[in-house]
Amino acid sequence: MVIPVLAFVGLIFIPIGLACIVSSNKVVEVVYRYDTKCVPGNMLHNKVAYIQNASIDKTCTRTLKIPRDMKRPIYIYYQLDKFYQNHRRYSTSRSDAQLREPKAAGDVAEFCKPEAFAANGRPIVPCGLIAWSLFNDTYSFARRNRLPRDGDHGPPPLTVSKRGISWPSERGHLFGKNVFPRNFQNGSLVGGGQLDPRKPLSEQEDLMVWMRTAALPRFRKLYGRMEADLVAGELITVTVRNSYNSYSYAGGEKAVVLSTAGWLGGRNGFLGRAYVVVGMACFLLALLLTLLCLVFPMKEEHLLLR
Amino acid sequence: MAEDHGSSRNMSMSMSQKELGDEDARAVRVGDAARTNERLEFAGNAVRTAKYSPFTFLPRNLFEQFHRLAYVYFLAIAVLNQLPQLAVFGRGASVMPLAFVLTVTAVKDAYEDWRRHRADRAENNRLAAVLSTVPGAGAAEYVPTKWKDVRVGDIVRVAANESPPADMVLLATSDTTGVAYVQTLNLDGESNLKTRYAKQETLTTRVEHLAGAAVIRCERPNRNIYGFQANLELQEESRRIPLGPSNIVLRGCDLKNTAWAVGVVVYAGRETKAMLNNAGTPTKRSRLETHMNRETLFLSGILIVLCSLVAALSGVWLRTHATQLELAQFFHKKDYLNSDKENSNYNYYGIAAQIVFNFLMAVIVFQIMIPISLYISMELVRLGQAYFMIRDARLYDASSDSRFQCRALNINEDLGQVKCIFSDKTGTLTQNKMEFRCASIDGVDYSDITRQRPVEGDLAWVPKVPVNVDREVMALVRNVGATEQGRYTREFFIALATCNTIVPLILDGPDPKKKVIDYQGESPDEQALVSAAAAYGFVLVERTSGHIVIDVLGEKQRFDVLGLHEFDSDRKRMSVIIGCPDKTVKLFVKGADSSMFGIIDKTLNPDVVQATEKHLHSYSSVGLRTLVIGVRELTQTEFLEWQMAYERASTALLGRGNLLRSVAANIERNMRLLGASGIEDKLQDGVPEAIEKLRQAEIKVWVLTGDKQETAISIGYSCKLLTQDMTQIVINSNSRESCRRSLDDAISMVHKLRSLSTDSQSRVPLALIIDGNSLVYIFDDTEREEKLFEVAIACDVVLCCRVAPLQKAGIVDLIKKRTSDMTLAIGDGANDVSMIQMADVGIGISGQEGRQAVMASDFAMGQFRFLVPLLLVHGHWNYQRMGYMILYNFYRNATFVFVLFWYVLYTGFTLTTAITEWSSVLYSVIYTAVPTIVVAILDKDLSRRTLLKYPQLYGAGQREENYNLRLFIYIMMDSVWQSLAVFFIPYLAYRKSAIDSASLGDLWTLSVVILVNIHLAMDVIRWTWITHAAIWGSIVATWICVIVIDSIPILPGFWAIYKVMGTGLFWALLLAVIVVGMIPHFAAKAIREHFIPNDIQIAREMEKLKHSHELTHPEVQMSTFAQS
Repeated sequence: MVIPVLAFVGLIFIPIGLACIVSSNKVVEVVYRYDTKCVPGNMLHNKVAYIQNASIDKTCTRTLKIPRDMKRPIYIYYQLDKFYQNHRRYSTSRSDAQLREPKAAGDVAEFCKPEAFAANGRPIVPCGLIAWSLFNDTYSFARRNRLPRDGDHGPPPLTVSKRGISWPSERGHLFGKNVFPRNFQNGSLVGGGQLDPRKPLSEQEDLMVWMRTAALPRFRKLYGRMEADLVAGELITVTVRNSYNSYSYAGGEKAVVLSTAGWLGGRNGFLGRAYVVVGMACFLLALLLTLLCLVFPMKEEHLLLR
Repeated sequence: MAEDHGSSRNMSMSMSQKELGDEDARAVRVGDAARTNERLEFAGNAVRTAKYSPFTFLPRNLFEQFHRLAYVYFLAIAVLNQLPQLAVFGRGASVMPLAFVLTVTAVKDAYEDWRRHRADRAENNRLAAVLSTVPGAGAAEYVPTKWKDVRVGDIVRVAANESPPADMVLLATSDTTGVAYVQTLNLDGESNLKTRYAKQETLTTRVEHLAGAAVIRCERPNRNIYGFQANLELQEESRRIPLGPSNIVLRGCDLKNTAWAVGVVVYAGRETKAMLNNAGTPTKRSRLETHMNRETLFLSGILIVLCSLVAALSGVWLRTHATQLELAQFFHKKDYLNSDKENSNYNYYGIAAQIVFNFLMAVIVFQIMIPISLYISMELVRLGQAYFMIRDARLYDASSDSRFQCRALNINEDLGQVKCIFSDKTGTLTQNKMEFRCASIDGVDYSDITRQRPVEGDLAWVPKVPVNVDREVMALVRNVGATEQGRYTREFFIALATCNTIVPLILDGPDPKKKVIDYQGESPDEQALVSAAAAYGFVLVERTSGHIVIDVLGEKQRFDVLGLHEFDSDRKRMSVIIGCPDKTVKLFVKGADSSMFGIIDKTLNPDVVQATEKHLHSYSSVGLRTLVIGVRELTQTEFLEWQMAYERASTALLGRGNLLRSVAANIERNMRLLGASGIEDKLQDGVPEAIEKLRQAEIKVWVLTGDKQETAISIGYSCKLLTQDMTQIVINSNSRESCRRSLDDAISMVHKLRSLSTDSQSRVPLALIIDGNSLVYIFDDTEREEKLFEVAIACDVVLCCRVAPLQKAGIVDLIKKRTSDMTLAIGDGANDVSMIQMADVGIGISGQEGRQAVMASDFAMGQFRFLVPLLLVHGHWNYQRMGYMILYNFYRNATFVFVLFWYVLYTGFTLTTAITEWSSVLYSVIYTAVPTIVVAILDKDLSRRTLLKYPQLYGAGQREENYNLRLFIYIMMDSVWQSLAVFFIPYLAYRKSAIDSASLGDLWTLSVVILVNIHLAMDVIRWTWITHAAIWGSIVATWICVIVIDSIPILPGFWAIYKVMGTGLFWALLLAVIVVGMIPHFAAKAIREHFIPNDIQIAREMEKLKHSHELTHPEVQMSTFAQS
């Protein structure tokens, strides 16, 4: 009974694992880490001072090479490391009622502190650490050299669409259509990005994505979508406006990620390998048990009661 | 009120009585309730069995529930959670599990109490006829009064088949002689009729005249339903009339065969004997639960380690990140609004304080490491198991129409671990339906059964139970010619017919000329003796308080019962003083031979004494119960002397028992031996087979009996307890010294035999036979006790004879104190109560001897042989299932806690949970609770047939194979592995992805729940549709709950489950987690079953094979086979 089950599991798992590996390998992913590369060499010893200095222009343009063909849509992510969005102090510091209802603007949850009230004593909308620390680096992309092809009428521009990066449920239920940012990012310590006070929260998709807190300290968040195909070897320039202070905490790694999507989501070698390993382990175990049964067959005295 | 009329008249009398009475007595003025209750010291008659009132329910019920330490723990955690710094869960979620458990229990308690309230109300509003004087007229009449308004002192009239509203002393009955018959079925379960008497003195006065003219002084209320001491003072009489237990009818009895009875209430309401006896039996705790507490401590240890680890690591983290905390967006240490103050931190109190907070928060987050739902699950499971035991047709005794009863609901699983059974003999191994078999009369033995024939001929009276008679004796009795032998033989039967407390009831038989007599009495021996006397023509036809009528060979004769010394277990005999029709006064004594030969004058008829002793020996060696009968004619002076002493003793309020005993001892001497009787006590059905099965199950059976050694040994043989190949060690000593010597001999003998035969095959079985006298000396001294224990433990069978009730408990204690063996005591009589309460498991046989044993027991059943299915089948199942359930609950909660713990390591050690708080709370209450309860009630590891066929399978429970530290460690390792799989497979897959915590939390929730449910499913052996529904239903229910939680916009993680379920990765991970989590348990289980199977697994394999063989080759015997 056991041996067939184990063999069966092996039989199922190895193909699934192989399929996962194949699927994962099809996904093309370009990761560009810029947190140190976009800081001028003379400021590297004090990155915090650099980032906090508003007078310095923090635009930085770099060229990326596309290793393989990338079919649309191409997803743009930003990636942070050692940023504890799951820190208890942080993850509870929000007021969902306030996000939803204009009437609840004053309902700054207990945990919204210390970003509950602006210096003038008015409630902050949206309050709390999560909203306050909104990620605000921006990226723009352009083709560097276009490989000419027959019948091509010029490349489509590499525009990044930021529509639809949040969940419909968030736009529809969590972030109110009549709630506008107020007193936001007015404090003495700036945590992150500003919000357009004329746009209701239900249209602030970056905020929605940011406020759906990540599960783990190294995470990616969707920045936008690029409706364009890129070909292998193509060079594209990415212009980063590096304004988010990730240098004040350990690591401070920031990266921009371009990725296509497979049926398992992004590029993920682990799952396929895990399936194959488990499948093989089951086979081995089945084999071992078979051998053991042959070497030590069930004897009759095994079936005598004490 | 009406009673006031007599108050002034009573004044003088009550004054004089104050001096007479002693402090312990209560004075009841007959028919004068107002005066009686003047000082408000007596309880009213309203009863209240309900525990709570609507106002006291909440505080009292909660107070009672919080006696459980676990509940206090959870309350403390819920309180901790309310502190703002420690608020891990929301208010609702933190209180919910405890509130749930408390509510379930409270609702159960409330329902039970409501039923009690209803019963109380019905009881209190019943109507009784109370004598009330009509104002002005001076006449009195019976007025219907509610029971709750009946007071002490009221005169109450009870009609046939009614029940008295309170305990009352009889004043008069419809019977001219003052007899009333009561049935005490509701009180002690005995269905035979008992006689109660009104005193002659009150009988002759009209009841209305008694009112206010009599005072009863009685002892304080107590719970002894067989004892009552009081006396009655009548105004016109100077002497005090003694009242005893036979003059009182108790609340809860039914008046039978008597048109009416009038009595005066002496104890009312909660002071009645019935209510005083209402207290429950002491609660016992099962062995498994005790062990469980040990493992709970381990779990607490693990919990503390986890919490300390988190707290320490959080300290390290804060220290290494100290410089960054101010600016890090996810920490924001400073509160800039209060920037005027130096170091104004927001919600940060320094590393030391944060460590403490984190520790406490960790305790809150990991609290379900200690499974709260386990306690309530165990109660439900025991209820379910009890239901199946009660419903088991094989535990139903048709002959007495008694079902199995579970009186204690918390030791079901102990039935699976019994190693030592202490059994009473009479009524337990035997039927306690006595049959008169033979007699030795005046030295002549009439024991030849072949000569005995059924009674025939012209008798006008037929005893209900037919008795065979010996022709020779018949002839001897009928031959009026005055041979010496004939005279003694007649006297013997007169003694049998008079010296008892039997009540004859005359029934109409099928033949109108023949009257059938049913003998009702408390002692089956007496019933047998009186029936025998009747068969020989000495028919007891009437009994009143003062005399009996015996139909002696067709001629009715009146015998005055002048005095009666009741049987007691010290004297071991009873006697009556009879005024015979020929004006002589005779003392008849009957009793056990040991007590009788001491008071018999052997010089009167030495030959007879010698012959009788010989006959007695032969009777008892064939297993008959023997009684010796003696007689003495009293002289006038002797009688008068006795009468004075007797009267004095029987009116005494204090120490009446002792006084009466010494009066009896004084008169019971120099008896002339008449003869002896042999009564057969038949074995119950299936006793030898049951004992054989129990022996195969390696359960030691000890028999403790009050019978004599020879009887005990012969019963031992007939029930296969003793076998011919056994070496018997007999300890039968009369002194301390000889007792010590025989113990030493026994020890050396045991050592010798044991050294001779080392291997178990050629072991000589040993039997220890010891008597009560020796036990007295042994229990004096711990050293001797130790020696006895050594011998007893080495013996396969122990037989204790002539033991007193308390010694029975002492023997049980001997084993209980020195070993961890589970003990079980089984008995049917009042003398077994102490033993039943002492043993780990007490079983009462609902048989002939009343219900005191049943009342004191944990389980009650009709037959001894039911022990086999009870222990071997139900006990085995209960133990196996309960052991598994406890382990599973530990494992299940630990797995969840470990998953939470691994996540905490990736959150800066701040006790964040990805799993929503509601899922955390519902996990052990809804997600996984039902399947374990269902499995623990319904699963069966082996079939009933197999368990009965191979009694040695019971050893699993004795060796604690289903619940021990090894299994606990094993299942904890499994739990760690599974938590690793649940946590790290998704973790590694989602390491650098856009996964949000709610989605990942949902994945973790679902995988843990599915994993632990599949784990359970893998261990289920017998599937039923309920099991399927519970296990798979739980998974579905969890899924639904997760979806519902994620569909509520105000809860965090809105819509996450829909999103994550839409990705292929989710499903791929779920599958991987379940398979990886299950493989070790699955493989280890298979390897164990294949290579080192235990008995149960072997038996299961046999079952499977037999099943498939029966399907394919029904007639082929099973032979060798291989396993998959």
